[in-house]
Amino acid sequence: MDSDAVKKAIIRQALQTTNSVNARTLMENINRKCFERCVPKPGSSLSSSEETCLTQCMEKYMAAWNQVNLTYIRRIQQEVGNQAI
Amino acid sequence: MSSSSDFNIDQSDIEKLNDKDKTELRQFFANEEQRARIQSQTHELTSICWKKCVASGGTLRSGALDKSEQTCLANCVDRFMDANLATLKRLATMRDQ
Repeated sequence: MDSDAVKKAIIRQALQTTNSVNARTLMENINRKCFERCVPKPGSSLSSSEETCLTQCMEKYMAAWNQVNLTYIRRIQQEVGNQAI
Repeated sequence: MSSSSDFNIDQSDIEKLNDKDKTELRQFFANEEQRARIQSQTHELTSICWKKCVASGGTLRSGALDKSEQTCLANCVDRFMDANLATLKRLATMRDQ
């Protein structure tokens, strides 16, 4: 490997690690929040309404994550801009 | 996760890096660190704001966010940051006294 190949391999590995940590954290949070929300009284099996709830909850949690991420980044940029003045 | 076969960098490979690529990698890791920090804070904030904006109330109705949930989440993040800054400000005045 030459310098460029080493650099690219390091970058690829680092991106993979960050992304998989992020995905795992998101999944853990979705499981926790949506179980809490959709299965208040666990029965002998998941009912179909509980399953529907879990699917919607997962989609909604991801949408919420994106909304929060967007707002947070906008706010940080704003604060940095304020400091620069 | 990924197989280790696609990543076999050892000390001798690291030594092959020229100065230009080292500088580039330092910049990359600085950015990557910031990206990871923002993602981690987003997880934290989503958890807090989910509780306030979505978790209460009856059925979820749909997998999409409705307008009021969207507004609530945005306000939640901004007010959390305000509260954070207010605390920091107050701490600073206490220290000055």
